Formats: sequence, structure tokens, C-alpha cells
Amino acid sequence: MNEQSGITEQDFRKKIFWKWLRSAFLRSLLVIFFVMIAVFFIIRLVPGDPAVMILGEHATEDSIEAMREQLGVNLPVSQQFLRFLSNIFRHGDTGDSLKYGISSREMVLRFAPVSLSLAGFAMVITVIVTVLLSFLAATHKDGIFDHIVRVIPAFTQGMPVFWIGLLFILLFAVHWRIFPVGGMKEGPFGLLYSLTLPAITVSFGQIPPLVRSLRERLVEVLNADFVITLKAARIPSRRIFFGHVLRNAFVPTLMLFSVNLSYLIGGTLVVEQVFGIRGVGKLLFEAISNRDFPLVQAIALYCAVFVVIISFLTDLIAHWADPGTEA
Amino acid sequence: MKKRASFILALTLAASLLVGSGKVVLAGENNTFIYATAASATSLDLHREITQNNAFAIDKIFEPLVLFDEDGIVGDWLAESHTISDDGLVYTFVLRDGLKFSDGTDVTAEDVKFSLDRHLEVEGPLPLEADIASIEATDDKTVVITLNQAYTPFFSELANFSNGILPKDFGGKTEEEFFQNPVGTGPFAVDEWDPAGDLTFVRNEYYWRGTPSIEKLVYKVVDDDNQAINQLKTGEVDAVADLSYANAAEIDGNAETAVITGGSWNVEEIFFNTLDEHFSDVHVRRALALAIDREAITQALTFGYGEVANTVLPNAIRYNTTDSVNALNLDLEAAKEELAQSAYPDGFDTTVSIASGNNVRLQEAQILQAAGAQIGINIEIDAKEIAAFREDFKALNFSIMINSATADYPDADSIFAFQVDPEGFSQCYWTSYKSDEAVKLLKEGQVTPDGDERAAVYADLQQVLADDVPYIPLYYPSITVGIRSNVEGLVILPNGSARFENVTFN
Repeated sequence: MNEQSGITEQDFRKKIFWKWLRSAFLRSLLVIFFVMIAVFFIIRLVPGDPAVMILGEHATEDSIEAMREQLGVNLPVSQQFLRFLSNIFRHGDTGDSLKYGISSREMVLRFAPVSLSLAGFAMVITVIVTVLLSFLAATHKDGIFDHIVRVIPAFTQGMPVFWIGLLFILLFAVHWRIFPVGGMKEGPFGLLYSLTLPAITVSFGQIPPLVRSLRERLVEVLNADFVITLKAARIPSRRIFFGHVLRNAFVPTLMLFSVNLSYLIGGTLVVEQVFGIRGVGKLLFEAISNRDFPLVQAIALYCAVFVVIISFLTDLIAHWADPGTEA
Repeated sequence: MKKRASFILALTLAASLLVGSGKVVLAGENNTFIYATAASATSLDLHREITQNNAFAIDKIFEPLVLFDEDGIVGDWLAESHTISDDGLVYTFVLRDGLKFSDGTDVTAEDVKFSLDRHLEVEGPLPLEADIASIEATDDKTVVITLNQAYTPFFSELANFSNGILPKDFGGKTEEEFFQNPVGTGPFAVDEWDPAGDLTFVRNEYYWRGTPSIEKLVYKVVDDDNQAINQLKTGEVDAVADLSYANAAEIDGNAETAVITGGSWNVEEIFFNTLDEHFSDVHVRRALALAIDREAITQALTFGYGEVANTVLPNAIRYNTTDSVNALNLDLEAAKEELAQSAYPDGFDTTVSIASGNNVRLQEAQILQAAGAQIGINIEIDAKEIAAFREDFKALNFSIMINSATADYPDADSIFAFQVDPEGFSQCYWTSYKSDEAVKLLKEGQVTPDGDERAAVYADLQQVLADDVPYIPLYYPSITVGIRSNVEGLVILPNGSARFENVTFN
């Protein structure tokens, strides 16, 4: 490097990194902002009156009007929007849930741990199974195992998540009674015990495209010149695999994983419904059908923040693994 | 070292799974009864709530002076006796001896006065319709309620959960504090309550009908049908409310589970918008009624858990005349003749509105569609998500809809005031139906004392409705509750609630 220019390679890299970080951060903020605005207006465009949903068909007009007033949904939308903004900036909240009368933020934060555990559990299963299957398939290329790994996913990917969930319940919970039908049991073991079936169900739909991608890259990298050189240098194959091959192969799969993450979260929401797990997904289902505006907004907001953070982190990892990645 | 660590980790995981599966607490253990409900109780303020999720929790805690039994007959409950003056204006109630609230304090007439006064003040979604002049506690145990006008349904109205008795001045607490952990005379009191989740009751040791045998009652929120019946099959819950009839048939056939049924205050009905260009014509309404095979609908859709309805008054409510009313039954020739007399002898196109996501309603709509096709009425099905569906029909934006009507309390007036009074807020269940004769009979029914004379009035009213057909009653659905076979003593009430105080496990 030219010492006179005053910029070392390290400085240059740092500069690129900070620039990247800043633009990624701004982009994330923009996404969150638009999600917030969109959800606020879309949920109000849907027909249906939250007061009627709370009081039912038999309630008198007077009591419904009183309820609308109490909920603040009788105000013009513009005024509701101002309230919404001030709530966000002053309290970081989207207002009290119309149905439960509890702060929406609190509701989301209360139900989030269950959903996060489920998503995390599913992610762990997905990663382990993906790496394992891809490795076996790639190292036994065109063998029977490779074919199986390539054919089975074509089936499982076509099965809807809720249907797989129902099958698992009938088989493992009702017939064999190994796992609970649904709901959450107490304690850390209870958590694991209750979430195993749902997590496997979620990961079922996630694994196939990842395996396909990783297997392909692995085959490519395993045949690359540098691997052959390393093999020739008698470096232990496990070190070659984890130290070099996987690192080189996993970036595209990681990007795919990050894109699929929103599906994983979507899948979690559906699976919560099937397994009767009271997490954010179920809350969302309920909030939408009750027209519980603040709660829907809060869930959308926190989900957006979550997805943005995760994709930011995956970008970060990809950037670290391969600084050339234009994430 | 690393290898060993991962081996130990795997072992721990496997062990924890095994330990976990051994730790399942099944329903019925520890004398706890677990009841699956579709929605959580969000508020226990008896004067401000109306929906079942809250009503069926409130009625465990608070009890009224009079109450209905499983056949819908209203009788004394906290009151030991009552008298109604001949002019129907003065109601005198005498409280039972030794009544106590769940905190051990005595119940007095002042508590009754306070409770009813607060209900009048709050009004709420289930207001007392009677024109009340005064409520007086004349001594410790006597309450005298005076009306400005005779109103026979008042007695049944008092059986509503919203007329339950609470301690005067909320027992010294603030309203908010009180309804967080309410005190009443009911068989159960709140133990743990999550407005967004489960509700656990503990039995009331002071209960005047004897301490309940179960120690705890849990309302567990299971809002998915499949989840609920699977949890019942594996014993994770002891009972499931509101089984769909298809599921009831399956639950009944299982050795470990059973179904108990009871009459309901519900009627499944077809509603006509009588302001609609076609259905303002009585001949059109009659023609469609004559084209529908209600017998077949009932058979096909209720799996034997329903009865054909000839009138809109539920058969679990007194003065129902389904066996004697002259209703329009399937007769295609007569249907065609009837339509020929209308302004649309060659038929027309119209729409039936239903709430989506309800398979039974969809099938009913399809049967109606087929019936219409036979006489030249082309019916399109418009299924909308329930909130949108409600908004539409409340704006009178429909031609035909299928829905169910429910009485709030066991008096014929509860149904008729809602479905016959064009001045009422419901505009005759949003049909805008207007019949001077029906209104006259409705008003008569409200002031005629219970007995044969009142029965005659309601028989006439039901005949008027059967002739005018603003509604086509389809069937009276039963209430079906799935239970574990070892459960005994669960009592199903016609409003869909249940009594748990006599429940035991075998």
C-alpha cells in the first residue's frame, strides 16, 4: 500500500463497512416506517366495527356507540392517525388493545417469547438438518442418498404447513401420545416438550430449498481447485469441510435463508394456530378478526422490526464472510 | 473433550424429553376440572358485558334473585320466595336464610338494591327493559321492586347474569379493584385470571347449595375446533363447549368421551330484507318458504342434534308452538302458484349473505340456492368475513341472510321484542318487517300475566309470523358439550353455559 496517501487498507475497509452499515440502517428504518403506515391504513380499510365485534349482534345501538367512544374509534381517521403517531413517539406503543384493554406493546412482549422460542427452535432444526443432509448428499453425489435427498423435498415442499401439523398431531399426540396435542406446558422442559412437534412442522417447509441450494454449492466447492490442493496437502477432511468448504459454500444459502426467514415467521404464525399455542401468531389472528387495530399495528410493527434486524444480521455475517457481497 | 460435551448435551436433551413426557398434567387430576372455551374472559363487570366468553365466567361468580334451570324454567334462586301483585306492578322478593358471599360476609337486601341500582345506572348492553319506579330494601331480607307499567318479562329478565348480586359499595373497594377479583354468591370465585388467557376459579367454601366437589375450575382457551376435540380425546381437557355437530358424532362414538346435549335458546333462521325490491312482496317470501325442505336441512346438517323449527321462538322457551302452528312446508306446486301471484312470476336474481368460514351456513345457503332454482329464483351466495357480514346487514345491505337468533333470557318476549318490534333498535333483526297485528300481539304479550291467556297471545303471534314469513325458521339446534367419560354431574344450560358445582370424577 502507498504510505503517502495516508489511507491504509484497513482504514479503507473500515470506511466501506461504515458506509454499508449506515445505508443498511437507513434502509431498515424506512422499511419499518412504511410497514407502520401501510398497516395503519389497510386495517382501517377493512370493513367491520371493533365495537360490534366486542359486544356482539345483540348489543343495543347505544351501548355500541358508547363502546366506540370509549375505544376512540369514533374519531376521524386523521385524528386517530395523529394519536397513533404520538403514541409511537412518546411511548413506543401503538395504544391499548381494544379487546383486552391492555397496552399492545405489553401484549406483544408477553406473547413474543413463546413465538421466538418456536421460531428459534425451528431455525436450529432447519440449520442442523440442512447442513447434515446437504453434506451427505454432496459427498455421495449421484448416489442413492443424494437422489433421496433430492426427491423427498419435492413432496414435502408441496404439503401445506397446517396439514403437516394436523398429521403430526394425529400421529404423535392422539395416536401414540408422545407429545401434547397443543398448548404450552410449564417450565423449560415443558417448553421443549410442547414446542418439538410445532418446530419440526415449521422447519419441514423450510428445509427443502435450503438443502437444494447448499448441496449445489457444496458440490461446486468440493470440486474447486483449492480443495483438491488442500486434500493433496493431507489436511484432515473435517477441517477442510468446516474451515474452508462450508464457509465458501454457505453465503448464497445464508442469503436464501434470510429471504426465507419471513416465510419461517409466517409459518410459525400458522403453526401456532394449528397447535393451539398462544403466541404472537394466534394473537394476530385474533386481533385481525376482532378488528383490534392497535394490537394488529403493534404485531406488524414488532414483526417488521424483528425481520429487519435478522436480515441486517445475516447481511452482516455475509459481509464478514465475503466482503464483496453487495447485500 | 468437545465430543464428550456434545454427547452429554444430546443425552440431556433426550432425557429432558422423556422427563417432560412423564410430567403431563392430565385433566381431572388434583380435583381440577378443565373446560375448553373458545375465547378468554376479558372483563367480569356483569353490567357492562354481554358476550358468552364473559357471561359464562360472570355467572359462576354472581347469581341473581331468580334463575332458570336446564329446561329454561325460571324459579327462585337467591330469593327464597317471591310475590307479584295482581296488577303486575309490585314484585316482592325474600332472601334465603344464611346467604353468604364468597368472602364470608352476609348477603342483605341492601346488597340487592345496590346491585340492581348500579345496573340501572350503567345501563350496559343487556339493560333491564322494565320501567322500574323504585327498588327498596324494606328489611334485611326483603326487596320490593315497583314498576311504572306492568311488564311480564321482568321476572325472566331478572334471571340474566347481569342482575347478579354483589356486595354493597363493592365491599369497600373501588370498582376497578372489585372487578379484578370479584366477590359474589356463586359457586366459584376467581383464583387466577389472565384477560388474554386462561381463567382459574376456586370453589366458594360458603356456597349456599353446598361446597362444590371440584376444588378448581379452569377455563382453558382453545380456540381451534380440531385442537379442542383432540385435547378432549387425550384428556388434556375434561370438557369442550360448543362442539360442531360433525365433531359431536365423532366424540360420541369414542369410548373415552361422551356428548351431553340440551335444548337451546337458539333458532337457525333465514332472514329477508323486507325493503328489498323482491322480498317486500309477501308472495315471494312465501314461495321460497314453500320451496325449502326444512326436514331435509335439519337431517343433513344437525346429525340428529337439532329439531325442525316451525316458529322463530326456540323450543326451550315457554309458549313455543312448533307442534301446533300452521307453517309453510315443502310443496313445490304451491310454491310456484305463490310466486305466480307475486310481481315476479317468472323469477328473478338475488343474493344470500352469510358469514364465511362457517361450513354449516354455507351448506344451508347451497340448499336454499337449489330450492330457489326449482321455482325460478336464481340465488347467488355472498360469503363475507363475519365483521364485514355484520356491518352489511346492520346497514340493511342484503336481500336474504342466514344467521341464528338467540334469546338473552328465557321469555318469549326476548325473541319477539328483537324480531317483531319495528321501533326497536334491531329493526326486527334488520329485516325492517312491519306488521301492525304482530306489534299489537307483542305489546299484549308484554303485559299479560303468565298463563293460558299469554300462551294464546303468543300462539297468535307465531301464526302471524308463519304466514307473513319475514323469517324462515330452519331448526332448533341442541347444545352439545363433549366430556370425558369419567365426568359426572355436569349440567348444561339452554343459554350454552354450564353448572359445575355437582361435577365429580369417577
